[in-house]
Parts: sequence; structure tokens; C-alpha cells
Amino acid sequence: MGADNRSAVILLRLISWPYFRKHVLRSILTTMGIVLGVAVFVGMHTANQSVLFAFSQTINRIAGKTDLQITAGDNGFREEVLETVQAASPVGVAVPAIEAVIDVEGQGNMLVLGVDMTGDRSLREYDMEGGEDDSVDDPLIFLAQPDSLIVTKVFADRNHLAKGSRLSLGTADGEKTFTVRGVMKSSHLADAFGGNLAVMDIYAAQRMFGRGRTFDRIDLALKPGVPLDNAKQELATLLGPGFDVQAPATRGNQAESMLAGYNMMVDMSSTFALFIGMFIVYNSFATAVTQRRSEIGILRALGATREQIRWLFLGESAVMGLVGSIVGAAFGVVIAGIIAGGISALLGDVYGVARQATDIATRPVVLGSALAIGVITSLVAGLIPARSAARVDPVHALKKGSYEAISAAEGRLRAILALVLAGVSLVCITAGRSRAVFYGGYGSAIVAALLIAPVASLWLAKVLRPVLQRLRPVEGSLAADSLIQAPRRTSASVAALMLSLALILAFAGMARAAYSSIVDWMDTSLNADLFVMPSQRLDLRTTRFPPTMAQEIAALPGVGGVQMFRNGRMAWRGRPAMLVAIQMNSVAETNRHAPIAGDAADMYRKAAAGEGLLVSDSLAQLQQLSLGEIIEIPAPHGVIRLPIVGIILDYTDQQGQILIDRDLFIKYWQDETVSDFRVFVAKGSTIEEVRQRIVERYAGRRTIFVLTNEAARKWILKLTDQWFALMNVQIAIAILVAILGIVNTLTVSITDRRRELGVLKAVGALRGEIRRTIWIEALAVAVLGLVLGFALGAINLYYMLEVARRDIAGLQLAYQFPVTTALVLVPIMLAAAGAAAIWPAESAVRGSLVEALEYE
Amino acid sequence: MNDDRQDGRALAAVWCVLAVVLLVGRVAPVRAADDARQIVLEAQKRTDSVSQRYDGILQTFDAKGKATEKRWTQDRIGAHGKSKVVIRFTAPAEVKGVALLIVNHPDRSSDQWMWTPAIERDRRIALQDRSTRFFGTDFSFEDLEERDVDQDDYTLLGSEAVDGVDCWKIQSVPKPSKASQYTKAIMWVRKDNYAYVKAESYAKEQIVRRLTYGQISNVQGIWTARELTMTDLKRGSVTRLTLDKVEYNLPLKEDDFTLQAIRRP
Repeated sequence: MGADNRSAVILLRLISWPYFRKHVLRSILTTMGIVLGVAVFVGMHTANQSVLFAFSQTINRIAGKTDLQITAGDNGFREEVLETVQAASPVGVAVPAIEAVIDVEGQGNMLVLGVDMTGDRSLREYDMEGGEDDSVDDPLIFLAQPDSLIVTKVFADRNHLAKGSRLSLGTADGEKTFTVRGVMKSSHLADAFGGNLAVMDIYAAQRMFGRGRTFDRIDLALKPGVPLDNAKQELATLLGPGFDVQAPATRGNQAESMLAGYNMMVDMSSTFALFIGMFIVYNSFATAVTQRRSEIGILRALGATREQIRWLFLGESAVMGLVGSIVGAAFGVVIAGIIAGGISALLGDVYGVARQATDIATRPVVLGSALAIGVITSLVAGLIPARSAARVDPVHALKKGSYEAISAAEGRLRAILALVLAGVSLVCITAGRSRAVFYGGYGSAIVAALLIAPVASLWLAKVLRPVLQRLRPVEGSLAADSLIQAPRRTSASVAALMLSLALILAFAGMARAAYSSIVDWMDTSLNADLFVMPSQRLDLRTTRFPPTMAQEIAALPGVGGVQMFRNGRMAWRGRPAMLVAIQMNSVAETNRHAPIAGDAADMYRKAAAGEGLLVSDSLAQLQQLSLGEIIEIPAPHGVIRLPIVGIILDYTDQQGQILIDRDLFIKYWQDETVSDFRVFVAKGSTIEEVRQRIVERYAGRRTIFVLTNEAARKWILKLTDQWFALMNVQIAIAILVAILGIVNTLTVSITDRRRELGVLKAVGALRGEIRRTIWIEALAVAVLGLVLGFALGAINLYYMLEVARRDIAGLQLAYQFPVTTALVLVPIMLAAAGAAAIWPAESAVRGSLVEALEYE
Repeated sequence: MNDDRQDGRALAAVWCVLAVVLLVGRVAPVRAADDARQIVLEAQKRTDSVSQRYDGILQTFDAKGKATEKRWTQDRIGAHGKSKVVIRFTAPAEVKGVALLIVNHPDRSSDQWMWTPAIERDRRIALQDRSTRFFGTDFSFEDLEERDVDQDDYTLLGSEAVDGVDCWKIQSVPKPSKASQYTKAIMWVRKDNYAYVKAESYAKEQIVRRLTYGQISNVQGIWTARELTMTDLKRGSVTRLTLDKVEYNLPLKEDDFTLQAIRRP
């Protein structure tokens, strides 16, 4: 074994290294395939993990010495729960907390932590400026004055603040000025949320955020010697099912599970990118084996075994994979830095994960996985070429041409295999809901497409030949013949293009369908004329309104109706879901969208009477719920046990919604506050008039934002854009792949046809004619890729829609082939092909005629 | 013979008495704890009043000498260990109106609430928070509680002069049923009038706080310290509470010592 390893290393050094040095550009281009795939994998996962890491870090830093945290979803719970917890036997210290993210002008997000300073220092270290052990300059004034704030040194320095400085922040009661009464030095707590953290008294925070008499959370430390699990169990039993008792670290894990759907999309994108990279590597190695036949023959004649030849080529692919992975990983970290901000915003807006300034946290696991995946991908890509190289007969080693061709037998075998796999995928579609069956069918469909790609490329090239000949008789024929005579070389590039285009079309189709569905939903369901919000951002549920505002707004001239809307996330069946409390009677009159399941009139009547609840279609898909099914919803004051009386289309939240009547919510949560008001303008008044009246009504007294329906729709579509912005990364990669693949193919093609091109020049072909031959060949490859790409894209779209329905967001989207995107892709890909052909074409015309004629 | 018998009986009687004395002495030695408890009880009795009121000036000096000052009025009603206390801050302006209600219990820790007029909210000071410093002073919330004599075990450590005055030196250890941040305290009680002159509080074996009682004068028959100085020995800071206009046995109403009452301006 040792001798074999040594000989493999010697072969790499003496045979492979000179070949790479001679074909530097091709080697680089080949490696780029792995670089791109690994870069996408590392970039997206690293950015994703950085945001989640920052989120977990914030939780842990704020938690301090907390052993357990008690929550009841986003909706909070009444203050009285605190006494119950404090009196529990395992509890040593229990303190309440309110946590809210606010938008500070010019600063981005700030996390405001409301605590009871009379006891909070038992759990959290407040390391104050000035070296004093006091919580603040004067703790009594801090408590006595509701405008008191402690900020971090990072925030203070950034804003030139010191003790005694004033700071304006938006509150439920309008813009208020706060006084900095303490500055925290850099410490575990102060570094939470990137330093954008402020601490205030909890009762002042209740007022600031319109929380009434509720807390968001209780943080507690156990008495010494009390086992955590025992305490958790005891408290859960004491408080009942509506409460969540968890260690702080678990909340970070829950955020990660919330992003499962998003992670799946990231994994799929990365897998596609690596798949495409694999094809580029395969193409290059397959061509290299062809070109180095004589070299292989000589090695075999000198005594090299088939095994050694195989390991030589596998070794080359492994080295290439390793180099590509290392470069790709480094590139990926750069990409992560660029897209982290965007992903952070996406996770905050769509999933409610509090966003903050993040540093890129590279995880060794991600980097290690990327290296392994890159090397494995390269090895897999090199398997077939290595096997081909090992089979080279020394006697036939100098024979040219036959290895490029696909024999009739091989073509038949490919076709049969492709048909079988296509059949398998069809069966899997109808076989049931099992995940393994579905993804098995998906994989079979892709592999079938890849198997048939060479045969299809060859057939299409033959179909294209007369067209090209008609365009340019000489150049067109030469270009077409080049494709027909080297189907393996051609098909690898075409396959890479096909996969890229299939991915783009699937994403584009999904985006188009989602858009249509969302617009339809907004037209029929989200149809209030005005939205009275505590923030310009529809996703921020930090501040709430008192219910009395409903009557105040309704009393204004021109207001036809006011609906109170209350929402908040909660954990349900192990996954997050949005609980929505609305006045069902009122919604029955305004919602024009027919339910997906259930009778419209009946479902609203029953829900209003507290005899049932509604769920969104996305939740029903994700959790496999059906009409009539009785579900339980734990609440702070009991468990709601009701049947599903209607399934409706609702895109309010990615996680899916459960909708109950407002009275039911008040009964079980003892909370009458409102997230936003939906206002309908009466006939005879204009929207702008009513909007102005609402703004004037609360000017100087309360912070409100009155959004028109159009503004709200724009905001929601902006959110959808963010979600699908990931696709732009994919599209960019696809175009890069297109260029890369075509350049690679053409480079190999030109090298292979050096003698042929030399002969052409010798018999008088002009430079322009040779260039055109290369360009036409490039355009022809693009056309083949487009045709096959559209075909596979149509199939891939179906599967992507199914993935979205089953695993990502429960979205049931209509199948609509993105014709516009397809038409736009045609000139883009043709232009990319043309651009890719520029350098190879120049290289073809500049070569020495004598050298070309001598080339074997 | 008769004399001899009489002498023998007398001797036997003496031996019996001696034996009894020795036996009793072994079974029931002289209990200094009883004396210590009696001293503390007497000291409490001598300060008992139906009610009390004073104006307080609270000065805090940090380790660097920076001083802050607040003023309050304190009303108290009820017997020692079962009393109710209301503290209302009167200065500076930022804290005016903040009130604290303390309800002491003989058999358990006191209940404490704080009222903040600016946000119109009261909050209960939870039991586990009693070790927290009282609003930046060197007193903790626990230090503001009255302790019933039966909440601790006492040991007389002897006598010691403090500022030239002869005092009993008594150690008190909280009973297991009484949750306390301190493991023990040493108190000096004047022998002449049972007034406290000093108390040192310990956490484990380390002294953490020292309270000295100064300007002791007789007010309506009760020996009253008009100056209380608490020193936090770890932080090096000092808090001085000066009692002004001390009055006892005023006609205060029970209704003024409730949560509703402290919410009133």
C-alpha cells in the first residue's frame, strides 16, 4: 500500500503537474466549477448561521445567570403569574422582563430590555461606567422617572451620549425624550444585540410599548441543588399548558427550527450549484482523458497498471477538488459578508428573528463540510473519466475520434435507463405523501434528464445543422459538425446549462405563482382602505394599542368601519405559528375570498360564536390539518379545544396562521390590546381625507402610522421580493456557469481541433471566418442548452412547487410556466455564449499555422 | 452519741445540697443565651411605642466621597416585629412622592411594596430581592425590616466599652426559618439604657456592614439614636440617616398603612 501511495504521488508530480501547467487556463476554468458550488454553499450557510449565532448570543447574553425562562408566545401574560412563579418551591429568584425591538432613526434596530431593577441584578451583571457597583447613578431616580434609560458604551459612543444626555425614541404615546442615567461598559450583557441595547424599568416599558399589565417573560434562577429538569416539570405543571418553560439556549434552537424551510431552499440552491460544478469538472476530465490517450497508452506500455491510471486521474480530480474547495470556501466567506445583511433582514421580516448587526461567524463544521463536499463532488465527477482512462488499450491509444462518439449501444442503454427512471419518478408522484418517495422521484427525474442529455444534444445538433448551414454555409456546417462529432464534450456543457436554466425557470415560476397568489389574496382579503399601525413596518409587533382607540377612530367623520387585529407568534405542535385574533363578524362582511375548504357564511358564524376556528392553507399543508379536525391551542388561561371550521388563504405570515375570534382571545389571554386597526372608508369620503383625520386625531399624543392599502401592499410585496431575492444569486450563478461551461467547451474544442483549424487557415480561411465558426459553435451550444433547459425547467417547476407546498411554507401555488422569464433568458444566454466565445475565438485565429499542422 | 448523729445528719444534708448543686449545675448550667435574649427583648421593649414619625435626611457617600442626599418622612404603627411602616420621599423633586410600605411579621419575612407616582404603579419587592441595596444606599431592603426577638438565636459574648460607654456584646444568628443574607450579627447594647450603639453584620465569617447609632437622646421617654451610619465595608461607602422631628405615640390610623393609602398623593 505504501509503495502504491508513493507511486501515485510520483505519477501526480511527473505526469499530472506538467499537464496542469501546460493547460493552466483550462485547469482554472475547471476548478471554477467547484469554486462556485462550494462558494454558494459556504456563503449561504455561513450568512445564515451568522445571523442565528448572533440571535443565540443575544439570548444568552441577556439571560445572564438565568436557568429557565417562562414565556407564552409573542402575546405575553398577566403580571399575576410572577407571584405564582416566585412562590414556587424550586425558584430562587424570578424577575419579569419585556423585550422589544424598535427602529431608531439612523441607527437601525435597538433592543429595549425592560426589567425590574430592584431585583434584576440577581440575574444580570450591569457593569457600569465609572467603576461603581451601582446599577445607575441614582437607582431611585431611575425607578421614579419613567424616562430613565441605561445604554451601552458602544451605543453611547456612537451617538455621543453620556450620563444625563437626552435621547428621543418612539413610544406608544408618541415621540418621547429619555434620559441616559447609566452607561454600561462592554460586558457579556452590554455586547448583546451588537451593543444596540438599552435597559429601562419594566413598568415604564409596559407603558412605552402599550403592554397594559403584561410581561413578555419571566427569567428565573433555581435554588442551589435543584435539578433543572425537575424544576422545569414542576413549573410547567404549576402554570399549565399555555406556558413555555425552557432554558435560554432552547430559544436559540427554536429559532433555528423556524428556519427549516428557508434552510431547505439554501441547501437546494447549494446542491444545484455543486451539481453544475460537477458537470464542468466531468466535462473537463472526460476531454482530458481523450486528449491524453497517447500519454496513457505510453504509461500502460511502460508497465503502469489500470489501477494506477485510475488513481492518477482520481488523484487529479481530488487535488482539483481540494484546491477548488479551499478557494471556494474563502470566496464563500466573502459572499457571506455581502449577503448577511440581506439574509438578516429577510429572517427578521419574514420569520421574526430579531435582526441586529452581525459579524460573520464561520463555523468549522460548515467549512469542513464544504471542503469534503467539494472534494467528493470532484471525485464523483472524475470517476467515469478515470474508469475510461483505466480502460484505454495501449494499442488503440493513438486512435483518434472513436472515443468522442457515443456508440449506438451506449445511446440505447442511456435511453432505456432514462425511460426507467422517468417511469420511477412518475410512479413516485402518485405513490403517496412520503418525503422519501417524493424526493426519490425528484432525484430520478433529474438523473433521467442527465442520462438523456447527450443523446438529446446529439439529436438536436443534427436538427440544428441545416439551420446553421442555411445561416452561414461554411461556418455553420463546421460549427455543427464540431458539436456532432464530439457529443460527450458538447453534452457536458449542455447538461450544465440545462441544469442552470432548469433552476432559474423553477424559481421564476415559483415567484410568479407566489406573486399572483399574494396579489389575489390582497385584493380579496387584505382589503381595508387604511391600516393604523404602531410602526411603519408591518412585521414589528413591539407596541400595541388600547382597544378604546377603535371607538375613537370609528367616531371620526368618513370612517365606515374599524376592525381590531391582534397577532402574535406562538409555539404550536413544535413549530412556530401565528395566532390571529379578529372580529369574525366584521371580517365575514369584508373578506371576499372564497375559503379553500368550508362554507364562508357558516365558518365565520361559528368562529364568531366561539364554536370553531380557521386556519390558513399554508398551515394546513405544513401540519397536515383538515376541515373538521379538532385542535388544541394552549393559552395562559386554559386550553382552547375547537374544530377547524374553515381553511382560508392567508399570507400574513410565512409560518401559517390560526385565526380565532377576538372575544375568545381576550377570554384565554386576558389581554385586550390591539396590534393594528383596519379602517374602511365610508362612501362619500376619500381615503386621504380619512387618513389625515386619523393622523390629526393622534398627533402629539400617540405614535401611529396610517398606511393606505397601496402602501401596505407595497410593503408585503417588498417582503416577497426579499424572499425571492435569493434567486438573483442563483440567476447570477447560472449565467456565470453558462459562460464558464461554454468557455471550457470551446477551449477544449479549439485545442482538439487545432490541426483542423490549421488546415483551414492553410487553405485560405480568413480570420473572421474562423472566429465566426467558433462563435456559431458557442451560440449552438447555448441553443441546445436553452431547449433542454426549458424542457427540464418545466418539469423542475412542478417539483419545486411541490417542495414549497410540502416543506418550505405550505404554499399551494398554481403551475404557471414563466414564459416571460424564458423569453428574457434567450437573449441573455445567447449574449453570454457570445461573450464566452470571444477569447477562444481569438485564441483560435492567433495560433501558429505550422504548430497547428504539426499538432497530433 | 446524739451530737454525733446530729453532726452526721448535718453533714449529709450539706453533701446532699452540694450534690444537688453540682448535679443541677451539670444539668442546667448558667445560660448566657437567656440573658442575651432578655437583653435584646428589654432593648426592644424600651423602644416600643404605639406609633412613631420622623423626618429623615438620607446622605450617601461613595468610595470617592461623592455625596447624594434625599429626604423622607417615615410613619410607623404597631408593636415591634408586627409593625407597619410607610416611607415617603420628599426630596429631591425627581423622587418626590415615591413611597414604600413595609409590613413586618413576627414569624416570617416582611412584605414590602413600592409606589411610583410618575408611572402610577406599585410593585412588590420580592423576598429574594431583599439583599439588594436600598436604592443605592448602603442599607439593603432586609436592613429596613424589623426583627422579632424570636427570629434569631442570641449569645452573650461579654462586655465591651464603645465610646467610653459600657455595653453588652451580643451575637445573633438568624434561625433557619428566617431567610437572611447575613450569617450572623454582633450588637453592642448600652448597659445603662439598653440603647443600641453598634451592630456589625457578617456574611459567612466576613464582616460586610457596620451600623453605628449616634446622637442618642431621650425623646418622650424613649432613648432614640438620631443618627444612623451604615458603612459598607466591601465598597467603602457610607450612608447616614439623620432623624429629625422624632415623635412617638401619635394618633396614626391603620388605614394609612395600606397599598391604597400609599397610592394617595
